[in-house]
Amino acid sequence: MNAILHAQQLTKHYPGSIALDHVDFTANAGESIAIIGPSGSGKTTLLHCLAGILRPDAGAITLNTPSAPLRLDTLGDAALSRLRREEFGFVFQQGMLLPELTAVENVALALMLNGTDRGTSESRAAEWLGALGLAGMEQRRLGELSGGQVQRVAIARAQVTGARVVFADEPTGALDSATSNEVLDVLLRSVAANSRTLLVVTHDPNVAARCQRVVELRDGRIVSDSGSSSPASGQADRLAQAAPAAPTSFKGAFNV
Amino acid sequence: MSSLSMALRLTPYLARSSGSSLRETGLRDAGLPVLAFGTVTALLLTVAGGSQVFWSWSDDIAGTYQALAVVAMVLLIIPLLTLGASAARLAARRRDDRLASLRLLGANSATVVWMTVIESTVLAAVGAVAGAGLYACMAPFLGLIQFRGQAIGSHAWLSVPSILGCILAVCVLAAASAALGLRKVVVTPLGVRTRQTADGAHWVRGLIAAVVVVIGVVAMGMLSSFGAFIVIIAVMGGCFGLALLALNLMGPWILRLRASSQLKRAKRPEQLLAARTVLESPKESWRQVGGVAMTSFVGVFVGVGMAVADTMGPGATDETALLVRDINTGVMITLLGSFLMVACSAGVNQAAAVLDRASTLVALDRVGMPLKLMVAARVKAVMSPLFLVAGISAAAAAVLVLPLTGTVLLTQPVVFLTIGGVFAAGFLLVRLAVAAGTAQIGQVLARPERYASMDS
Repeated sequence: MNAILHAQQLTKHYPGSIALDHVDFTANAGESIAIIGPSGSGKTTLLHCLAGILRPDAGAITLNTPSAPLRLDTLGDAALSRLRREEFGFVFQQGMLLPELTAVENVALALMLNGTDRGTSESRAAEWLGALGLAGMEQRRLGELSGGQVQRVAIARAQVTGARVVFADEPTGALDSATSNEVLDVLLRSVAANSRTLLVVTHDPNVAARCQRVVELRDGRIVSDSGSSSPASGQADRLAQAAPAAPTSFKGAFNV
Repeated sequence: MSSLSMALRLTPYLARSSGSSLRETGLRDAGLPVLAFGTVTALLLTVAGGSQVFWSWSDDIAGTYQALAVVAMVLLIIPLLTLGASAARLAARRRDDRLASLRLLGANSATVVWMTVIESTVLAAVGAVAGAGLYACMAPFLGLIQFRGQAIGSHAWLSVPSILGCILAVCVLAAASAALGLRKVVVTPLGVRTRQTADGAHWVRGLIAAVVVVIGVVAMGMLSSFGAFIVIIAVMGGCFGLALLALNLMGPWILRLRASSQLKRAKRPEQLLAARTVLESPKESWRQVGGVAMTSFVGVFVGVGMAVADTMGPGATDETALLVRDINTGVMITLLGSFLMVACSAGVNQAAAVLDRASTLVALDRVGMPLKLMVAARVKAVMSPLFLVAGISAAAAAVLVLPLTGTVLLTQPVVFLTIGGVFAAGFLLVRLAVAAGTAQIGQVLARPERYASMDS
């Protein structure tokens, strides 16, 4: 498999504690990877370093782009911000969308930030929302959507730009178990159908079990890595195969 | 133990326990409310000091001056109350972790409300004392202002009891507006959030306002037929009141119409965000900039009217000519004061709004939204309604005195230049205050761990 994101000897300290202790990690293109571990184990710090949100104290992070490999740890704030906008997508626990915008505007905003005109942005956003089961709800405000629907909007926002890596931090943490399963289905199917890489930080064993690979952290170190040959790996592949053909004109849409 | 006594015991305790971090965060967060209350006090004392001389007169015309001083104070009270409420919301926001923790520990809602009211009052007291200091520095210059052809001089100095009374009044006002402002903030054990309410701005407001304006215009048109001078003055006063009422009715509705149109035309992300921010709550946007509407209207209406009166020439007595000039001076000071209030209110409101949305802003930064775009959206969300409101109010006043406007424009262009200058200074002030408020975004993004859950 092709490595898309590679971290070498990552180290990150917080006052009085070490969050990452010489961590080596590689994410391959198209993989879904669960990062698990107890609170304080360093999993969110690892996610934030890989996503260019946090700078490591030491170590190197390389993103393989079609043109040339990029060293994230050497980029400036503006370049990192642009990278997060163009190459990465994010799904947070609480959605973290703008409540004053409608569902379609929240998704379209990600494209508009990259310079796409508003009309195109909103039409692609609407296609994504439709593909994620939110057809007819495009003009609703977030307050008019359920928790699970808000997370679907967040999933659409994370992928509408064609992000190659999707980072999710406890994406189902605020949902009940039934909704949590639905949202997880949507997330896994959409990233698998579009051959995207998914890194998900979770406490939930059910989420971990449905990813192709599980990496466990403890005290800032990787203590286990199931690799791509994880027994759980087959499930995400089956989910991807079960996803119906793209209903829309743009590459990446799919039905749920 | 009652909620108040518990709040009285807890507030100083928590203020003391924050000692080490106060320099780091508390002073910075408290800076805006203190600055706001300081400005309010300095302004109140300046107006009170400036008009004190009116109360020492006892001749026929003294009553007119005294009435005008009261009108100026009333015009400043509305933005002052808005500012107090905004400052209280900011006070609650900046201590949200503590207040939520207290709720979690079992403190009831009344206790945290009392604590915020106490804290807001203490900030107001600090600001008021600083404002009094600022007034003391300005008083010698204030003494140079001329009324009835003579410099105010030592009359600009208020007595110590008057100054203390003003400080007390600001504190009481802060406490009252804090309690009112907190109705919009919900402190739960899980955090502090601003209450979201459906905020309509119905077209019926526009209709009522239009009727009010028509009545006003008709009454103004029939002005000469009223005969007696006192009746004319009363009708003019009534028309002025009707115009203000119309402005207040129409304000939120006009802002909503304009934002809807801006939303349709928005091409860039910041235009979309700014339009949606106004549409989220047109009444809130109006409350922020509405104060300028009143004074812009007064500025042009009275400015033009007085300029015409000034050209009446030989018929006018010296006393009338002086009154006209003095009213102009007073109007310009009131207009500038109103802009100052709106500036403080906008700055404090922006700081509160940024803290309100801190976790979302952190998330937007993480998904790659540039800081300058977040700032641009917020600036546009304040300045666009401000330009609209000031423009419409000034235009409405100019239309109301239309036959006079042209005359003044030709005979006394300096009046228009003065009014324009005061507007420009006012816009600049508000823009600077918004910049101070939005600077908080950078501070939030510099310490994201304070606002977004980060598992180490």
